[in-house]
Amino acid sequence: MARFDTLNTAWTVWDSPAPAPEGAVLEYTKELEKFLAEIERRAFRMAQVALRDPDDALDVVQDAMLKLTRNYAARPSPEWRPLFYRILENGIRDMQRRRTVRKKVMTWLPGPKEDPDNEAQDPLENVADAAPAIPERLMQAEAMEHLEESLRALPARQREAFMLRNFEGMDVAETASAMACSEGSVKTHYSRAVHALRAQLGEVW
Amino acid sequence: MSEQDNEAFETRSRALFQDSVDGLDMRIRSRLTQARSAALEAAQRRPSWWLGWKVWTPAAGVTAAAILGVVLWLGLPPGHQGGTVADAQTSFEDLDLVASSDEGSTDALDMLQDDIDFYSFADKAANSGPAA
Repeated sequence: MARFDTLNTAWTVWDSPAPAPEGAVLEYTKELEKFLAEIERRAFRMAQVALRDPDDALDVVQDAMLKLTRNYAARPSPEWRPLFYRILENGIRDMQRRRTVRKKVMTWLPGPKEDPDNEAQDPLENVADAAPAIPERLMQAEAMEHLEESLRALPARQREAFMLRNFEGMDVAETASAMACSEGSVKTHYSRAVHALRAQLGEVW
Repeated sequence: MSEQDNEAFETRSRALFQDSVDGLDMRIRSRLTQARSAALEAAQRRPSWWLGWKVWTPAAGVTAAAILGVVLWLGLPPGHQGGTVADAQTSFEDLDLVASSDEGSTDALDMLQDDIDFYSFADKAANSGPAA
């Protein structure tokens, strides 16, 4: 657990009047960067599964990164993952609530319709993917689309339990910490999610 | 639905998810990298909590004292509000006179008791009205 000692030392130094040594801050930043780089793509895909819109998913992931680094960086690094996913899930729910409110307001307000053609184009959007589109890959993409649709149809807690346990590979204890519930609840949510998904995807898969 | 089927389903869904993560386009990857950099930059700019504590505590103390002063001032009975410095000084002198001891008497209150006949007379004279 040497790295935790390093982190704690870094933050103890912050508490004293003397400035933190550059080495300690660098160590702490490197640790966070490594963690975020490792987790960011999966987190984005999970947010996208829940929200569908990639821009909303990016916003939620960016917000979760900021909140983690600002408020919880001093915590021991094994706590970062459950904390990050708890922040992310809260962000997803907030985004879903905002959408619902926006939708209700927009139905009452007359105004111009959103034109997707007017949005600024990102040049990177036109860069071709490294892997060519082969039939097998297309089939996989289609299967994933079905899975995403079924996941969106699940209750939020079941979806969350399934994604954290299955996609992120968290154990029951970590998932319980991320979901702020008991380990028994995680097992129940997960089991129900697997049964519901299999029932929905049975014909397609 | 057997346990084995469940495991196969879990394995397949995990593999599909990982494929979709690996297949993210360059635009998304680039924006995620930017988001990470922004978050780390914000973490490095984060002021140490003790600095905030040292700056804000005296300010909070002064503010609290000012609020307490105003509350006490506004909370006084109406007769005591808006008194001048001269009024306050007179009250203080009266208190001082009563509390102090003169030569020949051990307590100022004793002096008042000595003249009790005079105060009775003065009271009757005041109530009987002007002499004819």
